[in-house]
Amino acid sequence: MLTDAEKSRYSRQIRLFGEEGQEKLKETAVFIAGAGGLGSIVSIYMAAAGFGRIRIVDCDRVELSNLNRQVLHWSDDVGRNKVESALETLRGINPEIEVEALVETIAKDSIDRLLEGSDLIMDAMDNFPTRYLLNQAALRRGLPLFHGAISGLQGQAATIVPGRSACLKCIFPRAPPATTFPAFGATCGVIGSIQVTEAMKYVLGRGQLLQNRLLLWDGLSASMDEVVCERNPGCEACHEY
Amino acid sequence: MIIALPDGSRKEMAVENARIQDLLRDLGINPVEVIVAKNGRIVPEEEMAGCGDEIKVVRIVHGG
Ligand SMILES: [Zn+2]
Repeated sequence: MLTDAEKSRYSRQIRLFGEEGQEKLKETAVFIAGAGGLGSIVSIYMAAAGFGRIRIVDCDRVELSNLNRQVLHWSDDVGRNKVESALETLRGINPEIEVEALVETIAKDSIDRLLEGSDLIMDAMDNFPTRYLLNQAALRRGLPLFHGAISGLQGQAATIVPGRSACLKCIFPRAPPATTFPAFGATCGVIGSIQVTEAMKYVLGRGQLLQNRLLLWDGLSASMDEVVCERNPGCEACHEY
Repeated sequence: MIIALPDGSRKEMAVENARIQDLLRDLGINPVEVIVAKNGRIVPEEEMAGCGDEIKVVRIVHGG
């Protein structure tokens, strides 16, 4: 049930999907992998929208060079743990929800413990090896994975629903080389916003998800494009699911 | 065959029938950095492409 304060806070969303839609968001536990550029947008919009439980995980500290895009963290936060400042920002945005912020590395031996109790996984990582861990854990646990990635003015997004769609490894069979990527905050804004919209649609059972489709954003030409991706029957990650 | 490149440019190539990995090599593109769509669908780089096909080379982004 929603309190009067919640009904008022979410009134513009209740116009969109009703009190029962809002209640579904409130009952949803979200795992956000990363409190960087994408993690900032994803967590801020999910907190504001009233996803009831948010667990955000990052092992880094805030650096000055993060601040052009990582809007969770402010100038005074330089040197602090990212999740510490994330917790403060998110609580300030919405004290009605539960936020858990963990200084942890997402690794093979920690991921199952970290995902315990979560209903969906938001990919806000900055590298493919960790994304593949998220993908494998999503498949194992039957949880949806909302993929996003950026570089400069370009971004991509896809929604992975185990058993129903291509997995991350079907789309990207091998990791691209790890490089220091250029980053523009507004690109994180575009892609992170798409990921949150997808998560809302998944929870509420609305619209057409970005499954079996990879959405491509190019800020320079201001265009979105998409390519169709299919489950690869020989995919090493998902063939048994 | 029309090839859309990651920088947004398009290139017409007079190729009868070619393996996508060979096309990438001829274009000087490292296959590890991209995925390729043929007529709008992602395909493995062993796939063949002919003259009527539209190829799109997508640079994978990995940042967050
Ligand atoms: Zn797969």
